[in-house]
Amino acid sequence: MAENMKNENLALDIQNLTIHYEVDGDIVEAVNDVSLQLENGKTLGLVGETGAGKTSTALAILKMIPDPPGIIKSGSITVCGHDVMKASKKELHAIRGKDVSMIFQDPMTSLNPVLTVGEQIAESVQLHEKGMSKSAALDRAMEMLETVGIPRERAFDYPHQFSGGMKQRVVIAIALACNPKLLLADEPTTALDVTIQAQVLDLMRKLREEYKMSMVMITHDLGIVAEVCDEVAVMYAGRIVERGTLREVFKNTKHPYTEGLFNSLPNPRDRKAELIPIPGLMPDPANLPQGCAFAPRCPYATEACTKAQPQPRKFSDTHTVLCTAYDDAGFHIRRNHNG
Amino acid sequence: MADIKNKKIKRRSQWDEIWRRLRKNTGAMIGMAIVFVMVAVACSVDLIYDYDTEIIAQDIPNRYLEPCAEYWFGTDALGRDVFKRVVYGAKYSLLIGFMATVVSTAIALVLGSAAGYFGGKVDNLIMRFCDIWGAVPGLMLGMIIVSLLGPSIWNLIIAMGLGGISGKSRTVRAAVLTVRNSEYVESARSIGMPEWKIILKYILPNCMSPIIVAVTLGVAADIISASSLSFLGLGVQAPAPEWGAMLTSARENLRYYPYLAIFPGLAIMVTVLALNMFGDGLRDAMDPKLRR
Amino acid sequence: MGRYVLKRLLMMIPVFIGVSLIVYCICGSNTRPILMKVGGEDMTLEEEAELKHELGFDQPILIRYVKYMGGMIRGDLGKSHITGDDVLESFLQTFPLTMKVAMSSVLVAILISLPLGIVSALKRGTLTDNASMVVALLGLSIPNFWFGLMMILLFALNLRWLPSVGYKQGIKSLILPAITIGTGMTARLTRQTRSSMLDVLRADYLRTARAKGVSESRVILHHALRNALIPIIATLGGQIAATLAGASVTETVFALPGVGRLVVNAINDMDVNMVTGCVTLKAMVTSVVMLLVDFLFALVDPRIKAQFAKGGKKNG
Repeated sequence: MAENMKNENLALDIQNLTIHYEVDGDIVEAVNDVSLQLENGKTLGLVGETGAGKTSTALAILKMIPDPPGIIKSGSITVCGHDVMKASKKELHAIRGKDVSMIFQDPMTSLNPVLTVGEQIAESVQLHEKGMSKSAALDRAMEMLETVGIPRERAFDYPHQFSGGMKQRVVIAIALACNPKLLLADEPTTALDVTIQAQVLDLMRKLREEYKMSMVMITHDLGIVAEVCDEVAVMYAGRIVERGTLREVFKNTKHPYTEGLFNSLPNPRDRKAELIPIPGLMPDPANLPQGCAFAPRCPYATEACTKAQPQPRKFSDTHTVLCTAYDDAGFHIRRNHNG
Repeated sequence: MADIKNKKIKRRSQWDEIWRRLRKNTGAMIGMAIVFVMVAVACSVDLIYDYDTEIIAQDIPNRYLEPCAEYWFGTDALGRDVFKRVVYGAKYSLLIGFMATVVSTAIALVLGSAAGYFGGKVDNLIMRFCDIWGAVPGLMLGMIIVSLLGPSIWNLIIAMGLGGISGKSRTVRAAVLTVRNSEYVESARSIGMPEWKIILKYILPNCMSPIIVAVTLGVAADIISASSLSFLGLGVQAPAPEWGAMLTSARENLRYYPYLAIFPGLAIMVTVLALNMFGDGLRDAMDPKLRR
Repeated sequence: MGRYVLKRLLMMIPVFIGVSLIVYCICGSNTRPILMKVGGEDMTLEEEAELKHELGFDQPILIRYVKYMGGMIRGDLGKSHITGDDVLESFLQTFPLTMKVAMSSVLVAILISLPLGIVSALKRGTLTDNASMVVALLGLSIPNFWFGLMMILLFALNLRWLPSVGYKQGIKSLILPAITIGTGMTARLTRQTRSSMLDVLRADYLRTARAKGVSESRVILHHALRNALIPIIATLGGQIAATLAGASVTETVFALPGVGRLVVNAINDMDVNMVTGCVTLKAMVTSVVMLLVDFLFALVDPRIKAQFAKGGKKNG
């Protein structure tokens, strides 16, 4: 852990983050003891099923967990040198949009229907560039529109006059208006048509290089991860079960859940190969099992798995896996064998 | 087999779920309890009191007694026991409120579901009618109809019922529109089921919640309007102890005998409040937006 | 834009014709109260028949309506059968008072209900929220004629701060009636503000705004409120229309010489010209208020503005 302490080169440093939602007396453990680090200029893919705690983690970085019912139980988050957990409201407002921006899943609902898109981009600029005039901010907004591939005169149009893909471009323009150092993208292409998905993804990759940003790409699509990410963290039931570089996780998969994710993808090189879905469902996050949360669905599960939480196991400096099975030195998962 | 069983459980649990949520809502349960008590009282007042000797019989020596142990709410200008009269009055308000809503809802179900289901010309015709009918302020319409038919309980019910048609028709139409194009309606149509049957069996049962809520809140509104009409002398007539009518006579002596005006009004308010609390709770329990 | 307004105004015409037809036919079917009032209780049958003929009551109701309608088109709403007053003149004499009471209660209602509704929504489930919702529910459930009586009892008869009935002391005479009407309106508006704010507060675009670094107060006032305003304006419009139309009970309680009183008295006598004229004029005022409300919608919501500009159809 010592090497992860204050590191100048880190855009994002999350330590032991735990988030609970309390609804009707039930406690939902959305995020459990998650630690993540991301170096400047790198892109991290945060992968997992719906409800795995990906969005909660991202919202926590901006300290935007809806409270109530959400509570950040413990942990520390440092973004671009700011300690988010200790920041005042004012400091938070200055961090959001300036140092860290976020893009949301559904562009159809992410834009305010009663304001022009120009106003919505310019608002961000005006908030963070003190002393900038309204017209200068609007000018900047128009530039941003052009950057994301929308003609500048459309700044005076309202969101309902744009298509879904165009709306997502506007959302990206808002997020990038102030040159953020870190971009959190929460399934930015899930709600879009496949052809539009590729365009938006291309645009994001291009802009990330131009702006030299770090990025956290939240997705459940391993294809997107392979395309844009340098590092991968796989989340399951509020925990990061496997974390490593893209190569490590894709080529040297260790966790049975990650394997399950790959097996349930169609393989373009072998179209006749059978898809193997992961059996069962993710456990109710309000009622997590005592041991490993994946054990009930895991083909390799032993009794030990259901008894205690697995401890993190390092396979390299960057590759960490949360799985009890590796206590047995001879254990390996099938995927690696087949190559 | 297992599948079918699961479905049955699911369907029942939808209403169970509404009831479960409703039960958790203290306000709604209090409201429901009060409504139940009121209805029970209204149904049994004729068994408790004798109308001729206890409700309308005059007792001039005992007039204008302040509330005391014997006369809880005091006595009025003719020496009648205000408490008994207020209790007896529950019968009028609830009867008129419920029956007026039944009348307007029955008509609105026909008009609204026809407009919503058939659309096109039928819809246009019915909706334009509702526009016009609704443009006459409801209370005015009630007053005019009552003064044409003459003031009596049943005329009041008809007047109030007719006054409520356009609003409720719109509610029903909007509700029908939400399910009209669903696949189960399509499939019923595709097997050649007669249209009235589709409406009765497939459409209305699936869009009841907004209608039920509108009906519950409608009873409350009708009770207020009915007592307003009686207050204006256009409803139930003295000596019948209708709450609004009791207030008309209490008003004349407001300065000296204010207690005569307090209790009938309080009775209206409690009744309406109970219905509103119940209706609000019902809406919250049925609102799919809060269902997540 | 102009075309749309013109279209809306033209669409009002059938409504007025329908309203006047309904009211005239219901009200005009029973002419006895007028005959009794004009001719006296003890007139003979011949006298009655003569009076009937004189007033034109022996003709079929539809013919009488068409004649009335003919006058209406020329701006002549006829004369009262009882007092002989010109209907339009009587309406114009009494309407300003009704309008004054209505507008002051609207003002009070907006000033109280908007902040209260917003705070309730933001502090959902807290004591503040629950307390204001209970008060709003009470305000909604109180019959306004009784509430008026209680206000008279407390402020006029006991505390002697304000006049009880009549319109002799100007503005002071209007305070209690305005509060009486305003209570129900405030209650409805507070509930509507709260519920539409709650709807909007769940919206994703507020999250986008927060992620930009917009402060919470600006999120609420600039981003949320403008969106929540549409259903609030709709409720407000309905309430204003209802108040202008239905102030009769309150005006009776406070013995105010407004339109409501005028109509109630006319209905009691089945004074068909007066009733039809006043109710139709009220319906006109209501329609105009609704048109203004639609304009307000367009100011707030660009999607509706687009419809206006296109001269498009209003849904529903």
